[in-house]
Amino acid sequence: MTASETLLEVKDLKMHFPYGGGFLSGKKGFIYAVDGISFQLKQGETLGLVGESGCGKSTTARAIAQLHRPTSGEVLLHGKDLAKLKDKDLIAARKNMQMVFQDPYASLNPRMTAGDIIAEPMRIYNGHNILSLSRQEMEERVEQLMERVGLSRFFKNRFPHEFSGGQRQRIGIARALALRPELVLCDEPVSALDVSIQAQILNLFKDLQEEFGLTYLFIAHDLAVIKYISTRVAVMYLGTIVEIARSADLYRNPQHPYTQALLSAVPIPDPKVERGRKRIILTGDVPSPDKIRVGCPFYDRCWKRMDHCKLSKPPIKEAEPGHQVTCFL
Amino acid sequence: MAKPTAPKRDSLTNEFDQTMKPVSLWTDAWRRLRKNKMAFGGLIIIVFYFVACLASPVLPIYPYQEQVVSHQNLPPSLHSAGKVMLFTRTAYMKQTMEADGRSEFNADEKAQLEAMRIDAQVNPENNRVYLLGTDNLGRDLLSRILYGGRISIMIGLTGTLTAVFVGIVLGSISGYVGGRLDNLMMRFVDIMYSLPYMLLVIIMMALFGQNIFNLFIAIALVSWLTICRVVRGQVMSLQNAEFVEAARSMGASTGRIIFRHLTPNTLGVIVVFSTLMVPQFIMQESFLSFLGLGVSAPMASWGSLVSEGANVMELYPWQLLAPAITMTVFLFAMNFLGDGLRDALDPQSKNKL
Amino acid sequence: MAMTEDTILQVKDLRTYFNTDEGIVKAVDGVSFDLHKGETLGIVGESGSGKSVTNLSVINMIPSPPGRIAGGEILYHGKDMLKMSKHEIRQIRGNKIAMIFQDPMTSLNPFLRISTQMIETIVLHQKLDKKAAREKAIEMLKLAGIPAPEKRIDQYPHQFSGGMRQRVMIAMGLSCNPEILIADEPTSALDVTIQAQILDLMKGLTERLGTAVILITHSLGVVAGTCDTLCVMYAGRFVERGPTDLIFDSPMHPYTQGLIRSVPRLDREDDERLSSIRGQPPNVIDLPDCCPFYPRCDQAMDICKKKYPKWKNLDNGRTVGCWLYSEDK
Repeated sequence: MTASETLLEVKDLKMHFPYGGGFLSGKKGFIYAVDGISFQLKQGETLGLVGESGCGKSTTARAIAQLHRPTSGEVLLHGKDLAKLKDKDLIAARKNMQMVFQDPYASLNPRMTAGDIIAEPMRIYNGHNILSLSRQEMEERVEQLMERVGLSRFFKNRFPHEFSGGQRQRIGIARALALRPELVLCDEPVSALDVSIQAQILNLFKDLQEEFGLTYLFIAHDLAVIKYISTRVAVMYLGTIVEIARSADLYRNPQHPYTQALLSAVPIPDPKVERGRKRIILTGDVPSPDKIRVGCPFYDRCWKRMDHCKLSKPPIKEAEPGHQVTCFL
Repeated sequence: MAKPTAPKRDSLTNEFDQTMKPVSLWTDAWRRLRKNKMAFGGLIIIVFYFVACLASPVLPIYPYQEQVVSHQNLPPSLHSAGKVMLFTRTAYMKQTMEADGRSEFNADEKAQLEAMRIDAQVNPENNRVYLLGTDNLGRDLLSRILYGGRISIMIGLTGTLTAVFVGIVLGSISGYVGGRLDNLMMRFVDIMYSLPYMLLVIIMMALFGQNIFNLFIAIALVSWLTICRVVRGQVMSLQNAEFVEAARSMGASTGRIIFRHLTPNTLGVIVVFSTLMVPQFIMQESFLSFLGLGVSAPMASWGSLVSEGANVMELYPWQLLAPAITMTVFLFAMNFLGDGLRDALDPQSKNKL
Repeated sequence: MAMTEDTILQVKDLRTYFNTDEGIVKAVDGVSFDLHKGETLGIVGESGSGKSVTNLSVINMIPSPPGRIAGGEILYHGKDMLKMSKHEIRQIRGNKIAMIFQDPMTSLNPFLRISTQMIETIVLHQKLDKKAAREKAIEMLKLAGIPAPEKRIDQYPHQFSGGMRQRVMIAMGLSCNPEILIADEPTSALDVTIQAQILDLMKGLTERLGTAVILITHSLGVVAGTCDTLCVMYAGRFVERGPTDLIFDSPMHPYTQGLIRSVPRLDREDDERLSSIRGQPPNVIDLPDCCPFYPRCDQAMDICKKKYPKWKNLDNGRTVGCWLYSEDK
C-alpha cells in the first residue's frame, strides 16, 4: 500500500433537516440527524460506522456523498471540500467516490438489465465528457466486473428480479466499481442478506479492497460484522461519534458506556459463552434526534451518569493512541 | 486480436441442472393476462374491432356515404333489399286491410305488390343486402358503423396518446422537481379541473369550427390532467427509492433520472390508465356528437350514429340499437382489458408468497 | 420420538404447499418435532427455508386459496389440530397457543386502543368481565415493563416506540397464560440494545409462567442465548435437530457447520477469514428429489444428488438428515 495519505476528512459535519410546515405555516422544527462529526479516513483503510437506528450513520454517508447537502461542516476528499463544490466540479469529484446501498431489492432499477445497471455510471460520465469509453470498452468492463464480483457474464441481459438478494448486491457492488473509485461508501450492504450470503459478500468486499486498493466507509448495525471488516471503528449515538478507535482496541477495551452496553447486548452464537455473559441492559428506548440537547446525548440512558453530564457537552479524550472517547469519565 | 464477445445464450442451467429461462416483467404479465378469461376475451374483441374498422376501406361493404333513397329505413335482414321492401309493404298493407275489416288485398294493393316484385327482380340495386339495415337516407348502417368505428377508435387512441404523453412529461417533471414548480403546476391542474369542461369544448367548437381536428384538440385539452396527477404521484413515491439515489450518486442529470429511471417504472400504471381512457374519450366524443358538435355529415362516428338513431328510436329501433350495441361491446371489452392489465402488471398478485 | 409425560405438542411430518403460477411451492415438506412443557425450542433458517410457514401451519393460519396443509399431524395434548373444528381451534388460538410476530407495527390494529385489543382477548378466553379483564391487562403490561401502564393502556399503537410495541405484543400474548408462545422473529426489527431487553423479558416471563416457547429466528446468536432445543431448517425441511449445546459444540450437518462458521463473532480474533457457504438458498419450486443442499455442500456425495437423505435418530436426543450419517447409502 502507498504511504497512508488521508483520503477523506470530515470536519464537524452537521445535517439538520427542517420538518413540518406547509404552504402557509412556518417550519415546525429540525431533525438533528448528524450533529457535529469529525474523522479522518486514510487510504486503504476501512472505517466502520456503527450505531442503532436514528444515530445518523446513514445520513452521514449521504451527506458525504452529497446526496444531501450538509447544513454545515467540511467534507474533504483529497483536500477538496465537496460541500462547496457545485455541478461540474462535483460530478468530477464523484467519480472517485461511489456508494453501495442497503436494500438489494430497491437499489437496482427493476426495468434495467444487469449489464445496463453496471454500465450506467460509465455512460453518465461519457455523457459529461469526463470519460470517453467506446461501446466495446464498456462492454468489456461490464463483463470483467461481473466476473470479478462472482456473477457469470452470461447474465448480463437479465433483469434484477431474476436474481437472488445476494446476487443483486453483487450487481450493486459491480456498479459501484465501474468508475474505479478510490472511496466506496457502503451503507449497510449486508444487513438485508441471509447469514450464509452475508459471509460471501463480506469476503468479497475484503478481496476487492485488496485487489483494487479501495478505501471503505462501512456502515452497519451489526457489531460483529463491523469487527470483521473494519480496521477502525466509530460508534455513533444521536448524531455524534461517542467513541472511535482501532477495531481491536475498541472491542478489547471499550471506554464509552454506550459502547460497553452495545457490546454486551450483541448475541454471540455460542451457548456456553452466552450463558456466562453479564448483560448490561439499558433502560429506555433509542431516542429520536429531534431536540437540541444540552449536555451529553447519552445522559438519559447512562448508568454511570453524573450531574455535570447534563450540563455541558463532554470533551473528547484520548484513552490510548488512536482511541478517542467523548465522555466525562 | 479478436476481442471476446459474450455469446447470446438465453437459457442457462442453475445449480440443480434445471434450465432457467429468462423471464422479463412483460412476459410474466402476459402470462397472467392470458389466464384471466374476461380480460383475454376483451383483448380478442378489441383486436377484432381494430382489424374490422381499419380494414373497412377494403372490405366488401357498400360505401358509407352512398345514398339510395329508395332504400330508406330498411330493417336489418339477410334477404336482399328488394325482398325486404316487399315484405315491409306487404305487412303494412295487411295492417291497413285488417283495419278496414277486409280479408284480402284489393286490386290496387295487389298491383302495387306486383310492381314491387318485378322491380325487385329487375333493378340490380335491389339485390343489395343490408345486414344492419339502412338509415333515413338509405345508407348502409353496417358500413357506417364500421367507418364510424374508425373515427371513434382513432379519436380514442390519439386522444389517449396525446394525453398520456403530455401527462407523463408534465407529471414526471412536476413530481420530481417538487417545491414551487410542483405547487404551481398542481394549482394549474386544479383550476383546469374545475372549469366546466363541456362548456369549454362547446365554445371552442363554435369558435373554431366543427371538424375532427378541433374536436380532437378540445378533448385532449383537458384529458391529460388525470394522467398528470397519477404519474406525479407515482414519481413522488418512487423518487426516494434507493435506485434513484444510486443514480444521483453517480452524477446522473435530472433529465436522465426522470426519463430513464422513473418513467419506465410508472409504465404499469400508465398502461392500465390508458386502456381505461380510450373508452372515456369515445364516450366524450359520442356525447359531443349527440349534441351535434361532433363529426359532421356525411362522416359518421358511433356517437353521431347513436344520435341519429335516437331520433327515430320508436319507428326504426335498429338505427339506434346497432351502433349503440357495437359501441357498448367495445367499451366493455376495453374495460375488462384494463382491469385485467392492472391485475397482470401488479407484481403483488395474490399467488405470490 | 416417544411421547413423554410433559410433551404438549407433537408435529409429525407436516407438509404445507402453495399453488402459484409457477408451480407448487413446497414451503414445508415433512417437518417433525416435539415440544415439552416449559421448553424453549428454536427454529433457525434463512429466508425461504419455510420457518414462518411452519409456525403459521401449527396454528392453522395459512392463507387458504394459494396454500394448503397437504399432510401430517399436529398433536396438541394428543389431539390432532388439523382435524379440529373451527370452534375448537378458536378456543385454543390466543388462549392456549399465542403468537407474536415480527413487526409489531402491522400486527397491532392501528385504529384500536391497546386496551380494546387486550381486553377483547382476555374477555373472550378467560371469561372475566370487562373490569377484571382491564385489571389483568394492566398487570400484564406492568410485567412487560411498560411504565405507567394504567395510563398507557388507553393509548394507540402509534404512540409507542418499536420496542414498546413489542412489549405490548408480549403482554397480549401472555395475558391468557398460554401453554405455548410462538414467537416469529420477535426481535429482528429491533435495535440490538432493545433486542437484549426484549429477549431478557421474554426469558424472564416465560420461565416464571412456565410457558413453552417456539422461537423462530435467523440469528444464531439469539438461539444460542435463549433456546434449549434447536432445529435447523433448510428448503422446507429440518436438517438437524437436538439440544442447543450439543449442536453448537459439534454440528453434524454440513449446512449447520457452514452456518456456524460463517457468522462473524465478537469474541473471535479478526485475522481469521470468515468461511462462507458458496451458492445461494434454493428456490423451492420444482425441486428434484435430491438433498437440496448438495450444490453448496463440500462433502456432497453421489447419492446426495439422487435421493433425499433419511432422517437419523441418535442417542443423545439429536437427529440429523444427511447421507453422511446413514449406513445405507
